Amino acid sequence: MKTQLDMDKIARGLGAERRGKVTTSGGYFGAMQLLADIEARFRVPSGGGRPTDPRWTERRLVPLAQKTLERLEEIAAKVREHGGVSVEPMQLAALLLERTTEDLNEDEVENLVRPKRRASR
Amino acid sequence: MAKRRTKAPGKGRRVLSGGRKRVLVVLFVPGVERDGTTSIDQSRWVDSALEMFGRVFGGATAYPKAKGIWRDDERGGALVKDEPVVVHCYTTPIDIQDGRNLAELASCCRTMGREARQGEIGLVVGDEYFAIRDFGEE
Repeated sequence: MKTQLDMDKIARGLGAERRGKVTTSGGYFGAMQLLADIEARFRVPSGGGRPTDPRWTERRLVPLAQKTLERLEEIAAKVREHGGVSVEPMQLAALLLERTTEDLNEDEVENLVRPKRRASR
Repeated sequence: MAKRRTKAPGKGRRVLSGGRKRVLVVLFVPGVERDGTTSIDQSRWVDSALEMFGRVFGGATAYPKAKGIWRDDERGGALVKDEPVVVHCYTTPIDIQDGRNLAELASCCRTMGREARQGEIGLVVGDEYFAIRDFGEE
């Protein structure tokens, strides 16, 4: 059941400003997620600060092989386990895409996209 | 084997008085002053917040430190690096909208904001973020 709260009354009672909606959930990860959300949306400039969410405004479907997805899932699980950082496989993919795009040069791109020549005749 | 006793609720006692504790209140306890470099006695403020939540709302949990950063627009956009402690408290819709409870919560936030020299104290109630910036004494 959705909780109906009089947010104006709460703001008055606290002597606080209402700044915006957030998504909350319990537990440690909920706490960390919320902290990141608040810092990204209410306290850090849209062009800087946290390197991920705020700049990732575009969404596209990216086709990938099952094997690639499995590899991403495997790495993301290791990062979560050992690094203590909550990252999803496709977030990891986006980070890799961003980093690789910055480092790519034209020759490498040409090699990547040029069709492999078949030994015909 | 010992049987667990099941206690019938007393006639005069309402077990779920005020409804279920389904409203999450989150308080961010900073680790530094507004200048971003001067450390504050964070554990004192965490204890103080926990005591207030315990007394007023019946309990709370402080999570281990997280690293954070925020922009202080009133100081030329200086970035303030911080390691806040996040305190979670579950309460009821009735208790969080009670004027006296809100006054206690606000008083705790204002005292912390004033004495720990903060630009803002952040608080989440339900699904909304509130910023307390006026730390004047009542």
